[in-house]
Amino acid sequence: MANIAAQRIKREFKEVIKSEEVAKCAIKVELVNDNYTELKGEIAGPPDTPYEGGNFVLEIRVPETYPFNPPKVRFITKIWHPNISSVTGAICLDILKDQWAAAMTLRTVLLSLQALLSAAEPDDPQDAVVAKQFKENIDMFQMTARHWTNVYAGGPHVNTEFNEKIKRLQDMGVDDHQARVALSSYNWDLERATEQLFTARLTLVIFV
Amino acid sequence: MADSSKLGFFCSQWLLHNECSRGSSCIFTHANIHEVNLNAHPTGAEDFVKGTYINFNSRIIRDANRFDQKHHLGTSVLNMPSTSSHNSASSSAASSPDSDCLTPTSSSTGSKKKTTKNLKSSLPHTVTSGALESETKPTESEKSKNLQNLSSKINIDDWVNAPEFIPRSCQSYSNTLYSNFSNLNLNPDISKRKLCPYAERDGICKYPIGECSYLHGDICDLCGRSALHPFNEEQRKQHTQDCIKQHERDMELSFAIARSKEKVCGICFEVIMQKSAVEQRFGILPNCNHCFCLTCIRRWRQAKQFENKIIRACPECRVTSDFVCPSTYWVDTKEEKEKVIENYKQVLSKKDCKYFKKGSGSCPFGNKCFYLHALTDGTKVDVGPPPSHRSISSSEFEHEVQLIQRLLMLEYLQDGCPFDPDNLDIEDILNLVDFDVFSDTDESFSDYEYASDY
Repeated sequence: MANIAAQRIKREFKEVIKSEEVAKCAIKVELVNDNYTELKGEIAGPPDTPYEGGNFVLEIRVPETYPFNPPKVRFITKIWHPNISSVTGAICLDILKDQWAAAMTLRTVLLSLQALLSAAEPDDPQDAVVAKQFKENIDMFQMTARHWTNVYAGGPHVNTEFNEKIKRLQDMGVDDHQARVALSSYNWDLERATEQLFTARLTLVIFV
Repeated sequence: MADSSKLGFFCSQWLLHNECSRGSSCIFTHANIHEVNLNAHPTGAEDFVKGTYINFNSRIIRDANRFDQKHHLGTSVLNMPSTSSHNSASSSAASSPDSDCLTPTSSSTGSKKKTTKNLKSSLPHTVTSGALESETKPTESEKSKNLQNLSSKINIDDWVNAPEFIPRSCQSYSNTLYSNFSNLNLNPDISKRKLCPYAERDGICKYPIGECSYLHGDICDLCGRSALHPFNEEQRKQHTQDCIKQHERDMELSFAIARSKEKVCGICFEVIMQKSAVEQRFGILPNCNHCFCLTCIRRWRQAKQFENKIIRACPECRVTSDFVCPSTYWVDTKEEKEKVIENYKQVLSKKDCKYFKKGSGSCPFGNKCFYLHALTDGTKVDVGPPPSHRSISSSEFEHEVQLIQRLLMLEYLQDGCPFDPDNLDIEDILNLVDFDVFSDTDESFSDYEYASDY
């Protein structure tokens, strides 16, 4: 019984490999270790979304009780999305939690994640900051998401304005990812981002 | 003595005439009669030497069955020609030797006696087609006399005058019978006579032909056994009908196997018929047509980490089904499915409910339980619908609340309870009632007994 998970993953591998999505390079699964418990998934950003042209890498852990329990999936590629933590990559998706069904597969999970990228659910957020921006300033959200896709997922759209702002913070000695998170969280308001970054730093200094 | 490369049978032509038309291609051993050592009793040779080439009707037909193909090649010549549809049921009239080879296969004295008369009937002048009546039943003394004669013939080297075999066309048993019986006055009871059970079962009668006291039936085209009564029209019809029914059942089964063979379980993704023998069962959901193996779907429905609504739904389409019906084969059509489910319910309804306990317990599923609610004396009991939250009377409800309060108090005094029993909110108690006492009522039907034999 214990190796039902491994058996099932083996069979799914064949299914994913011969499926159409793979031919279109939309989804991909790779083995990380030999015992079929850790896998690496990849999904392409869906067209007509800020994630278009990006390639997002996922970490998939298959529990021993799979397929009676869902696989544990998180984004390794940094992504700006209301239902995905910009910090940890944790995903808020019902089928990966209480709505799982034993007939679902890695393929359906990856396709669902792809669908999640094109249809965010800001009312059930994983990242509150992103969800707030999504609801209050959808254009800003889209630009930010596109910028993140460009930087972390190899997306084609370069945003020179955003890059310059990050450069300025980097000149002040801030790590580029930290600068990006701060700017993204404050709608690319350089002043507020700087303030936030340096008060945090100051507090830290005082603490030390 | 006997050439090992040959079959171990002596060529009768050679023995009788010292020449054989088949020459060196003869598959039987060419040995002169005086070369056969009488005293040495070589295995198998004895019978022949005493003149028992003979036991055509009894032993060889049976032996042929046991022989492998190679041997059969040799003995089939001895048997009725395979073209005869009644190859095993030929009458003794038709069963005189058709070939001229002999077998030294072992044979008891009894069978030698029996076969002596066959030798007699095979003498040219007695061989007439359809000559059942010509077959005399020799008395015991006649038989032994025959045997003596035979032995003495051989002993005094008079074998040259031994009777010659003339191969003759074989007649089907029934033809022979009919022609015979048309000559005789038809016995009115003949349709009541029983069919030989051996011939009916194996197509081979245990007794030498002519000695079997039963009738040998005609071959049924459907089952290939000689099971059709030659004189009883009703029996023939009945048998044909049974055979057609059996054939339909067989067809149904092979269709069931054909449609089940490739079915893949939606949970483990394995071909169900290729799983281990214990797991080769389908779990049929009454409300949708998705295919799972019984083990997987039951395991899914027992999952504790999800809500009831999730696990009671089909993992593929989320349609809720109240129970899973085990089946050896996959069912495609609605009718087949209903039949399988009905059978399942019927099997369960004969088993005692483990909650009802023949009246000493109470079943949370009430009269929706699939199992038997009967008292020890066998009388069935209708326990009414399953209890639900809404249907508990207020007095019952108060009783439950008091009971829980008392239990909580006890626990509080013992280890300290998370709730303060005195300040316990009525809502909390309600939740406890829900959770502890009536959790079973979530299921409206019960096929809870997962280890059913069905």
